[in-house]
Amino acid sequence: MEKDYSVILDTLPEDGARPKVLFRQAGDGFLQVEYGEVPRFNLIDSFRVLTVNSAIKSKKIKGLYETVPALRTNLYHFDPLELPVEKLIAEIKEVEESLTDVENIVFESRLITLPIAFEDSETKKAVEKYVREIRPDAPNVINGYNLEYVALCNGVTVDEVKKLVCGTEWYNSGNGFWPGGGFFWPLDPRCAIVVPKYNPPRTWTPEGAVGIGGPCLYIYPTPTGGGYQLLGRTIPIFQFSQKHPLFKDSPTFFKAGDRVRFYEVAEEEILSIYKHVHEETDYEYAIKTGKFVVKDWLSFYNSEEVQKGVKELLAKQEAGSKVAPRV
Amino acid sequence: MLLVKKGGIETVIEDWPGRIGYLDNGMAASGAFDYVALGLANLLVGNPPGEAGIEIAGGYFEAEFGVDTVISVTGTDMKPTLNDQPIPLWEAIRVSKGDVIKFSHFGEFGFRAYLGVAGGIDVPVYLGSKSTCLFGSYGGYEGRKLQAGDVLNFGKPQEDLKSLEGRKIKKEAIPEYSRVWELRALPGPNSCPDYVTKEGMDYLFSHEFKIQHSSNRSAYRLEAIKGINFFARKDGGVAGSHPSNVLDHAYAIPGALNICGDTPILLIADGPTLGGYLCALSVIMADLWKIGQGTPGRDYVRFVYCTRDDAMKARVELKELLSEKSLA
Repeated sequence: MEKDYSVILDTLPEDGARPKVLFRQAGDGFLQVEYGEVPRFNLIDSFRVLTVNSAIKSKKIKGLYETVPALRTNLYHFDPLELPVEKLIAEIKEVEESLTDVENIVFESRLITLPIAFEDSETKKAVEKYVREIRPDAPNVINGYNLEYVALCNGVTVDEVKKLVCGTEWYNSGNGFWPGGGFFWPLDPRCAIVVPKYNPPRTWTPEGAVGIGGPCLYIYPTPTGGGYQLLGRTIPIFQFSQKHPLFKDSPTFFKAGDRVRFYEVAEEEILSIYKHVHEETDYEYAIKTGKFVVKDWLSFYNSEEVQKGVKELLAKQEAGSKVAPRV
Repeated sequence: MLLVKKGGIETVIEDWPGRIGYLDNGMAASGAFDYVALGLANLLVGNPPGEAGIEIAGGYFEAEFGVDTVISVTGTDMKPTLNDQPIPLWEAIRVSKGDVIKFSHFGEFGFRAYLGVAGGIDVPVYLGSKSTCLFGSYGGYEGRKLQAGDVLNFGKPQEDLKSLEGRKIKKEAIPEYSRVWELRALPGPNSCPDYVTKEGMDYLFSHEFKIQHSSNRSAYRLEAIKGINFFARKDGGVAGSHPSNVLDHAYAIPGALNICGDTPILLIADGPTLGGYLCALSVIMADLWKIGQGTPGRDYVRFVYCTRDDAMKARVELKELLSEKSLA
């Protein structure tokens, strides 16, 4: 049989603020909808994805099991015997055509403040296990950790990496990977450090580990595999037993649209909080409810000061990419 | 009920299709790895094909029955015995209180055996499924694999036990096992020409990939891609310096083939739902069961190109296979 490797089933042209929409084949029961022909890291795409996502969900389309929004894509999971992919695409197009303005969106967004211990002992164990069992010559492991490699890739010092991580609010484009884990992106683009992912990935990561891959930050909810460069460890974000009041209604914590800000602490403090979450169940999480105004963020993002800072970081990263070894 | 005497290598409670609808919270569907073997095991004992059964990976599971009932064993031939007497696969067998069932190790072909029980396994339904998610430690029996001393309860049999006894699966309905598992697949979402070269896609659709030892219920790791010009891009741009890196997107699991660095990894039952590696192809739903019989460190998989129409036909055939029509 002649093999046809093309996977774009349909498209919608670029239209004003909307980038081109590509409908990609992803197996016989999934459809990936992608925004923009050239991949870009721009949170405006996520605001669009989440807005379209809620509109699609409210349609209650028969045969559509679920959707999985990410930064610039949404994955549709459906029963193709009940809902032909052409019909699903038509439904999505209808929503896309009726949505004109992403810039005026305001959505619910909690601000969650979390402590982080950089280069803690559990992270060290995960890195050691990787070197021992998966890749002894891993170039992303320096002095038993990944932090120096992260610094190297971005042309900054380890201290600067810590400042960048703690210097921005991180926005959750949607949960995924493992139960309750959010995919967080820097709202201040001057803090957008970028790193390659593990090659190949780890088979174990400790609960609460904070990792970064590309420009995306992830907190590992339970011990699992993973491919992000590890920075350190924060407090629990998942509790299956649901003993702690935060987890009363669900074992997971994060919601799409949440923001997180980190502050640095010593490892002892993190370990003590684990006890107060999982055993004594009296730890109080720092959560502020609020709204996210896309227009305000856009004027911040486009301001001269921010764009100047972005250029400075890009220059450092350009230099870093020349010296950092490839994974 | 059933008293576990030996947990074996990895024995878990699974149903099918598992926990559907929670991918956007990072929760994979889990579910029986080989849902054909589970489905046929269930049909033999009068259960709906998706009812929860016992999935035995590797082998060495032993248990004692606390009631009279009817059971069935399917999947790889682990030389099961009842009170040390060999019992056949793919048929319904009467057991009595006090009987002891033992499994040896995985057979010449295949890796997982399934134990079906009339009425199914009675564990709590969590988010719509009885399946165990080992990596999240939830579902099934206390969110973990079985160990000595565990006591499992059974559901109420749907049919009279006497009528079930001696039921068999038709010979032609018993799946063919192999050491090279041919998995029909559709290219995408990241394919040629934008992410992978034509040479790279041809390689994926022709090479026999050895299944690595480090494979588990969330991911089947295949041997690394070597010696060809695989990637169409020189790097992953803003997503990372390696061309396998993409801005994080949801994975079409089960069945997506992730390219992690240079390692192709099949994302399956308990797999990750979102991540930053490209996905070059997806195994069609009707062939996913074969992965569960792929033996890590011994067997190979080969991806066979197919069309969306082929995949639809295969789905219809699968429905037929997992119906009473398969009973002799």
